[in-house]
Amino acid sequence: MTEPLLRIEDLYVRFRTDEGTIRAVNGVNLEIMPGEMFGLVGESGCGKSVTGLSILKLVPHPGRITRGKIWFRGENLLEKPESAMREIRGRHIAMIFQDPMSSLNPVFTVGHQITRVIRRHHHVSRREAWERAAGTLDDLGIPDPERVMRSYPYELSGGMQQRVMIAIALSCGAELLIADEPTTALDVTIQAQILELLNALRIRRGVSILMITHDLGVVAETCDRVAVLYAGRVVESGPTDAVLQAPAHPYTQGLLNALPRPSARRKSLQAIPGSVPGGIEEIPGCPFHPRCALADDLCRSKTPIMTPVDSSGAHLAACHLIGKSEG
Amino acid sequence: MPRWEYLIRRLILSVLVLLGVTVITFTISRVVPSNPAALWVGPRPTQEQISRAREILGLDKPLPVQYIRYISALLQGDFGVSVRTHQPILTDLRTYLPATLELVIAAMLIALGIGLPLGVLAGAYKGTLVDAIARLIAVACVSMPTFWLALLFQLIFFSNLHWLPVSGRLSTVIKLTHPIEQVTGFYLIDSALAGDWELFRDALVHLILPAFTLSTYALGLTIRMTRSSMVEVLQERYITTARAAGLPEREIFFKFALKNAIVPTLTVLGLSFVYSLTGAILIEVIFSWHGLGTYVTEAVLAVDFPVIIAVTIIVTVFYVFINLALDWFQAILDPRVTLG
Repeated sequence: MTEPLLRIEDLYVRFRTDEGTIRAVNGVNLEIMPGEMFGLVGESGCGKSVTGLSILKLVPHPGRITRGKIWFRGENLLEKPESAMREIRGRHIAMIFQDPMSSLNPVFTVGHQITRVIRRHHHVSRREAWERAAGTLDDLGIPDPERVMRSYPYELSGGMQQRVMIAIALSCGAELLIADEPTTALDVTIQAQILELLNALRIRRGVSILMITHDLGVVAETCDRVAVLYAGRVVESGPTDAVLQAPAHPYTQGLLNALPRPSARRKSLQAIPGSVPGGIEEIPGCPFHPRCALADDLCRSKTPIMTPVDSSGAHLAACHLIGKSEG
Repeated sequence: MPRWEYLIRRLILSVLVLLGVTVITFTISRVVPSNPAALWVGPRPTQEQISRAREILGLDKPLPVQYIRYISALLQGDFGVSVRTHQPILTDLRTYLPATLELVIAAMLIALGIGLPLGVLAGAYKGTLVDAIARLIAVACVSMPTFWLALLFQLIFFSNLHWLPVSGRLSTVIKLTHPIEQVTGFYLIDSALAGDWELFRDALVHLILPAFTLSTYALGLTIRMTRSSMVEVLQERYITTARAAGLPEREIFFKFALKNAIVPTLTVLGLSFVYSLTGAILIEVIFSWHGLGTYVTEAVLAVDFPVIIAVTIIVTVFYVFINLALDWFQAILDPRVTLG
């Protein structure tokens, strides 16, 4: 069996605020294989973006990683000094964000921004960096790369900006791309193009992608495996097909029931009652029990651990009801 | 709008602004109760002397005629004559304006050179010791009265330490032994042009105390403005992008963030610059630095209107051009800014 490219073990992130300590991430475990597209899904505020930023150790102030290990290429990133992290960021692990417009510096040309990153990680001349940047843009199917590079971000369309972001992220040959809601701010047609592009990059370059999204449609289309995050915990994970077709956790089931489906002509969508916990107060037992229709006394007192759902052993869920009802 | 077209349009507008200023100051100078003719003649004038002075000064003509005469002289670069000293104003300006400019430019460079990096670091390391020190300096700079600071500096650096001269633009000995050739009126530049480094050194040490004193207020503002806009800019997503690309912090602060954050600082410095042209009077007096502030204050006390109008016009010119330059800078720094 191949070694995972990235393994997150028991990650905890806390934000100390005046209102109290926010438990953003509470013991996340996940593994990403080389060349894999891994989906991390959950509602807003479930800790998925913070998990992504933790990998680069860029959790914003006042957040702090309080526990856990992040293994990348055999090394624990959390033990690495800031200077070593700067060598890894952009060179081995890159990240793109939701809104490409605000992710690009408005007062520098696209070319300047890409070549700067290339020159940060490779000892090449300005001209070589420029040519490499143009090559990367060309590779991403951007017409007239020279013109794009001389443009400022505001002169480009949203889809083009996101392509530029991907180019910056991959121009130094990163093995892992963290894509934090990369298509949320884009039109549907552009969304499809960006997803297709990411998928093509994964196949052609063997880049592993951590796809952070709240959109189960995106997951279904692109991801090999998926982890569902709730209140800073992975509540269900496994191969995308297994998780989406036979969700074992009531939360995943709820998410799927909340999706509009043209085929099943339901009168109204089923929303999950209640709302995402704020993360300040600690919820005893299963974090989902206040919103779960099936919760019993066990759920209210004991935190469930990840248990295999089926015989394959790849599909896991953290719910006391697994194996109880139908077996 | 293309940048050059914009520039030309702004220049034409500037001329209109200047014309307006001359109309207003000229009108005020004739409405305010004063007797320029009496001032011209000197103490205890006879009636005959006064009426002759009125003729010489053109005060017997109707107001519009006076104005047109004034403007046409002005267009030929003639600011007229001081009614108090009978000196051509242009000659006075040739000495006072460079003196003030040398002082004010030095002060603004100090404010920028110290304030900008301090402000950047304070914003970047918000809430740390660096930030606390920078803020303390900023508050001290803004709240300390300049006249008191000037005296304090003189006490420390002249009386106690004997490091720097107490006042003036040059030492008396140097002034006598090193005749300065007035090219620009900036002693630092003129001495450098002449290759007279002893003179240059003397002019420089005389500049240090007044320039530092004058810079303090602008320095405090620079630190505060830079800090607050840096704090804002550093929360932007593109800063996270730069960090996620592994770029060094120093470059993120001083290049990627600062280019987005610098415009308010430049605005503050530009306005301080224009203000200090005539507002540096206290410093000019304490350091015997004969500049525009002293010149116009004496003129105001004597109701010497030709001088007041001349200085007003000069300051307006600077004001208009500094504003133009600031808008221009902003458009250069931020491509999203459209001129028009």
